[in-house]
Amino acid sequence: MLSFSYCYSDETVYGSTNNAASAALNWTMANILPQQAGLTVNGVVYRYTTVKNPEDNLVVYVQNKDALGDGYVFREKDDWTGLPGNVIRKIVPVNNININRWGDGSIETEGFGTVQDASVVYTYQYDPCFQANSPGCPGYVDPLAVNITEVEVVDPLDYDYIQQEMDRKATLKDQEQEDRDRKRIRAEMKSINDRLEKALSIGNNALMIAEAQVKEAQLFAMAQIPSSYEIELLGGEYEESIIIKDSKLPDNKKMFRNNLIQQILHEELVNSQYKNKK
Amino acid sequence: MLKQLLVVTFSLASTNAFANVSVPVTGTVESKCVLATDTVGIYGNPLPNTLSTDPIDGGVIPIVRYDVLQANFYKAKITYPNTFSESPDLVDVVNWTGDVTVGEVSDATMSGYDTSKIEYNNVTEVDLTIAGSTWFKIESEAEYGYDRAFPAGTYRTVVTAECIAL
Repeated sequence: MLSFSYCYSDETVYGSTNNAASAALNWTMANILPQQAGLTVNGVVYRYTTVKNPEDNLVVYVQNKDALGDGYVFREKDDWTGLPGNVIRKIVPVNNININRWGDGSIETEGFGTVQDASVVYTYQYDPCFQANSPGCPGYVDPLAVNITEVEVVDPLDYDYIQQEMDRKATLKDQEQEDRDRKRIRAEMKSINDRLEKALSIGNNALMIAEAQVKEAQLFAMAQIPSSYEIELLGGEYEESIIIKDSKLPDNKKMFRNNLIQQILHEELVNSQYKNKK
Repeated sequence: MLKQLLVVTFSLASTNAFANVSVPVTGTVESKCVLATDTVGIYGNPLPNTLSTDPIDGGVIPIVRYDVLQANFYKAKITYPNTFSESPDLVDVVNWTGDVTVGEVSDATMSGYDTSKIEYNNVTEVDLTIAGSTWFKIESEAEYGYDRAFPAGTYRTVVTAECIAL
């Protein structure tokens, strides 16, 4: 299981690995270093304990093979010959060696004695934008994105004359709205007036009826109005009650004579016009 | 020839007799030996009459680190305790023992300090012949009287570590 500790400084990431020798004295670097393009190792920190007799020969190597060639990319030698065993702690700087060169690592011994409680940690650094066109890096272009020519978008509302025209229309609309409002207010006022007049007329009628009643009472009191004024006529059909007793009406001789005289005068008048033509 | 030279020198000195100037020269020396306390010690009390820094006795061994930037210029002088700096009143003798050993090294050769060290009384001296860091462990044990229990209370003592220029 890989686990790393790291921190960011500007764009460069610095970190250190877990103990590469925690399980055994041989390890594969692919399982130790984060597989980051452009990563470089800048130091190796190791610690182990030697168990030996002081008079024995013992040489311990902490090393990594060169993955790109023969030999080792890193090799540190500790000669314990003639010395008592002890714990050694070492920090060995290396010159930013690229991850590609770090081959398998190991702690080897020559002589008599053993190595215990070993710890080997690599410190490294890398630039997250080392690889060209990495997501999140400056200048990144998504290769899956459709290449769309960028079109300059011009907002017509930015033009002055369009804005002026819109302002003018807005002003006209405002005026129309004002007219409509004025008409509406006028109609409402008229409606209110009508209702008010109706209400007032109802009040006036009532007053007038009251006044008429007073006047009627005064007239009755003065006996100017016959008492039959208020008598109610009975409804029903009123039949003809006059009957002519004579069965034959005699001619009116005076009227007959009068009619005859008028006829004669008429004829004389008509004939007189012809007499004048002869 | 040596005389002539001396005369010329005197003549020059005479002509400048009234134009002396003093030029100060200062310098700062920073020690190339740095001491650091790695671990603070704690006494365990496995027996009523014993105080010990041994982890088996429940103690913690104090550790001092010497960082030497230049080899062969310094020696380490470490003194394990032989008295309490703070304790209840003690009416009997305290027997002190101790040991200074190399705990960890940054170079395998430093492991040889354990054999090359000089010990006297409660002092251990080590010539720091290798540049790098060395961790020294200072074990200490105190026994009170003859199987006599320590009075209850707090006991403090001090380990002295020095880096002395050779």
